[in-house]
Amino acid sequence: MCFLHCHPMINLVFYLGAIFMGMCFTHPVFQLCALLLSLSYYVLLFKENRLRKLLGMSVFFLMIALGNPLFNDRGESLLFTWINGRGYFLEALYYGISMGAMFVTVILWFSTYQQVMTSDKLLYCFGNLAPAFTMILTMVFRFIPDFQKKILQITAARKGIGKWQEEGKQRTKIEQGLLILSLLTSQALEHSIVTADSMKSRGFGSGKSTAFSIFQIKKSETCLLFLMFVLLLTILLCALAGGMSAVYFPWIELSSFGSLPTSLGFICYAIFLSIPTVLHIREEIIWYILKLKI
Amino acid sequence: MSAEPILKNYYIISSGILLLAIGMFIMHYEKKRPQTREIVTLSVLSALAVVSRSAFAMIPFFKPMMGIIMITAMAFGPGAGFLTGTVAAFVSNFIFGQGPWTPWQMFAYGIGGALAGVLTKRKIMEENKRLITAIIGYLVVQLIVGPILDTSSIFIMGNAVQENYLLTIYIAGIIPNAVHGLATFLTLLLMAKPMLEKLNRIKIKYGMAGGQSYEI
Repeated sequence: MCFLHCHPMINLVFYLGAIFMGMCFTHPVFQLCALLLSLSYYVLLFKENRLRKLLGMSVFFLMIALGNPLFNDRGESLLFTWINGRGYFLEALYYGISMGAMFVTVILWFSTYQQVMTSDKLLYCFGNLAPAFTMILTMVFRFIPDFQKKILQITAARKGIGKWQEEGKQRTKIEQGLLILSLLTSQALEHSIVTADSMKSRGFGSGKSTAFSIFQIKKSETCLLFLMFVLLLTILLCALAGGMSAVYFPWIELSSFGSLPTSLGFICYAIFLSIPTVLHIREEIIWYILKLKI
Repeated sequence: MSAEPILKNYYIISSGILLLAIGMFIMHYEKKRPQTREIVTLSVLSALAVVSRSAFAMIPFFKPMMGIIMITAMAFGPGAGFLTGTVAAFVSNFIFGQGPWTPWQMFAYGIGGALAGVLTKRKIMEENKRLITAIIGYLVVQLIVGPILDTSSIFIMGNAVQENYLLTIYIAGIIPNAVHGLATFLTLLLMAKPMLEKLNRIKIKYGMAGGQSYEI
């Protein structure tokens, strides 16, 4: 059971929880935990040019971290003063680091989300809630590659009759692009009416529509889903008890790990966020062992 | 402290409200039980808006998506404009990258489309007034759609909402928004008339809603 091929509900609950909590918790230890676990899954999932992307993210992180004190003149311990005697405060710097970590974590979760929650999974999750809207989304996903192919065909045809300029002024380029779009519009709209009439004559919209799906929830997945809900509930209770409180201004005040809500909340948070990484590594180990036997 | 971190988190609150607004609109649309032709036409137009970016791949910074959405709204009304904007923004982010900005983009493009629809109903934006339509398109992007997108970056990048920080973000956004607005201006100026002619022809040819706009 790899996280990538899990039941869509597990993926959805995980990402909703991870992203929401990643945005809420500003306690540095919680943030470090989220950053490391999102990074580990990112590294496992992406093999190509991840270094460049990670470099870009670190630049963003530094920008937010170092830039925050420039706009934020709250704090107690003054580091130095700059233009107009504005202060550069240590607390604001720490707050900037926290914000930067939050930003990078959320971006990392979203990058893996993109790989895990493919459009079919998303449509499966919301298909029954909004059937017409889901239908629109499904059709858009189909039309995009179709239209891109048609754009290439139109371009080739215009090249064939000698009405295409590879090099030229920006103006001619824009005009050419708009002309192609206009030609595509005519084709696509005519086609859409034929499609719609065909759908109607085959009975679309005559009754409640059911959606085909290849997803079946296994027993182990039900258990995992249950575990996830228990963890989420525990974290919520810990958060309500003040376990994740972190105050940066005017001075830094963090909830200590001596208290139950903080330590319990942290353990549950770490377990919850490590689900994708653990499942992914487990799958790879199983494959490794299976390959050894051959 | 209890629920304080959530209530103080501007990003979560604001995005929640936006998603709720979009969700309510979609639910309203579902309740209306839209016709098959309407569903297919709207999805074709949304897909066109998304694909319009690939047609201009050779020109950097030229994003005609908002212009196409506005033309759709001019032909099919404000509701269709909002829906097309929302769907186009959501789907194009599957290609260009989902992120915390997704709800904001969906809302901003939706509002841009809805505004164009409303202005057409008021006879301010019209097929025959090419220049005025294009200028209004530019203004909508520069003054409404762009700033909404900039606001999202304020909330995404940090919670400390302070006056000088806001000012910096909005000033930094002026030039990118102007470029975006210019692309919309050109799209509307050059495309509005031929596209609207085609859309209206389709509406008349196939007797869709009596040649009138879809009421969503």
